[in-house]
Amino acid sequence: MTHSSAARLLRTVAIAATILWSLAPIGLGVATSLSTQADVQAVPARWLPGHATLDPYRSLLGGTSGSHAGGTVSESGAFAHAMWNSASITLMSTLAILCVAISAGYASARLRFPGCGALFRAIVATTVVPVFTVVIALFQLMADAHLIDHKLGLVLVFVSTTTPLAMWLVHNHVKELPAEPEEAALIDGCTRWQAFRHVVVPQMRSGIAALSALVVLSVWGEFLIPLLLTSTSAGKPVTVLIPEYVGKYTTNYPLLAAAGILALLPPAIVALVLNRHVRGMLSGSS
Amino acid sequence: MGSDILTREVHPGGAPSGPRRPVDLAAREATRAGMLMMAPAVVTTATLVIYPLVRGFQTSLESGDAAVGGQPHFVGLRNYGEVLGSSTARDATVHTLSYVALAVTLELALGLIVAVALHRTFRGRGIVLAILILPCALPSVVSGVLWRRVFDPDSGLLNSVLEQLHILSQPQVWLAGRGWALAFITLVHVWGVLPLVSLILIAGLQSIPEEVYSASAVDGATPLRQFRHITLPLLRPSIAVTLTVGTVWATKIFDEIYVLNGTALNTRSILMEVYNTTFVNADFAHGTALAFMLTAVTALFAAVYAVTFRRSTT
Repeated sequence: MTHSSAARLLRTVAIAATILWSLAPIGLGVATSLSTQADVQAVPARWLPGHATLDPYRSLLGGTSGSHAGGTVSESGAFAHAMWNSASITLMSTLAILCVAISAGYASARLRFPGCGALFRAIVATTVVPVFTVVIALFQLMADAHLIDHKLGLVLVFVSTTTPLAMWLVHNHVKELPAEPEEAALIDGCTRWQAFRHVVVPQMRSGIAALSALVVLSVWGEFLIPLLLTSTSAGKPVTVLIPEYVGKYTTNYPLLAAAGILALLPPAIVALVLNRHVRGMLSGSS
Repeated sequence: MGSDILTREVHPGGAPSGPRRPVDLAAREATRAGMLMMAPAVVTTATLVIYPLVRGFQTSLESGDAAVGGQPHFVGLRNYGEVLGSSTARDATVHTLSYVALAVTLELALGLIVAVALHRTFRGRGIVLAILILPCALPSVVSGVLWRRVFDPDSGLLNSVLEQLHILSQPQVWLAGRGWALAFITLVHVWGVLPLVSLILIAGLQSIPEEVYSASAVDGATPLRQFRHITLPLLRPSIAVTLTVGTVWATKIFDEIYVLNGTALNTRSILMEVYNTTFVNADFAHGTALAFMLTAVTALFAAVYAVTFRRSTT
């Protein structure tokens, strides 16, 4: 009896610690983002703001033309624009990756044609290629195509680097689905496209939800590739803009934290809404 | 008639005759649809992954004269040798190895605790799991930003707490040295990766049948002995996956370092050295050579895990 009650206590402590460990940095970020510069520089440190203020968010979104405390310059509207860039790049990349990966994954699983297996294996093999070995040549390629600083350039790179893994996941998913409904639809006179569109895609609904969540999270969080392929606000996503708020000597922590909190909202919402799918895919895929 | 049916099965693409036609048409149609649906994936992978990979490898074997207007020529493995000889690259390698060793150890230890605590059902487990995966969903740049204030030398929370507890008499510049800086950057990295590691281990624990535990409990095994002699051995495959994923992610650590400490020499990782060589010093030849060496090291790690774990399970 004492064994099990001690074990239960230990488990409760571990669960509480897990929650604290996962949420504390985010909570600290929220508290910092509602503080003033005076709160943040107080000695001894103040964990919570004296009284909460939304000023950091205001100066971040409204923008101040001059230099800010701590030497951080926040150009007017630059943050909102970077959020828009992130959102549009993520949306375009996700849609493109889903289209390319779903059709290729389905084709390789169901429509066996000569050379299909070899092509499939060749594409899947590129998942082991680390992005940084191709990123240098990609940079030259993008420069030649005048796609530096262009959202389209980033979308193309994300599509090509994410498709192999996504296609492999779709392929495995389609293999597990029963083929009979599609065959029945074909016998009933549906064209291949109609059967795919109205029978197979609905069958894959939960797999597609999981895949889109995974792709959205990875594209939104991408840093090194956009750091290399963008240099002005035309294409810069929010992950590239945020490190610029870090001052050389002192940092405007409320502003930095506000930027972090706004940038984590979209992926956090996706992860919470689709969390069952995300969990299944994370633990199953790798 | 019977033999005709056989040949029809073996040679679907043979000369058309009456009853064969619908089958042929369907096969040809499937082939065409299949090729059409594979085409976009083939084209993007070929132009934006395989071509740059080959070009990059070629660059790493040529002299870096292109940047100064010269004609690049083949130099064999000279760039690789020069990179191996550079002291910043060697330091970066030491840092990366420390990141990997620390990160993998922490992830495995903490991941096992989290997984053991969370793998059985209890009230509110869904909510706890949803909270657990949050750090993994955040961009690593953002997790760096969230943790930055903790380590700040002037107004940092860590210094403040330690001074109040009279452990420190004056503030420490945590990220300026080597030991603490590497440890804290690893901690931030682990914060982002732990959810994934925990989920893999939870899935592993759930695949162990409950009867194994109840049988050993009848034999009088304590929970600790059960963990040592049942859980750990049966969890081997999941642990192998965890180690591989953890190593692959830690070898390419970049974002967290960039946000917490910039490209400072004392915490620079190999990938950061690649970035610096290539894009700050515009030395494409040596940058690519280093990138390919990093790939080789990562592949070596993965192979070692694969071999070790295959040998010990059979």
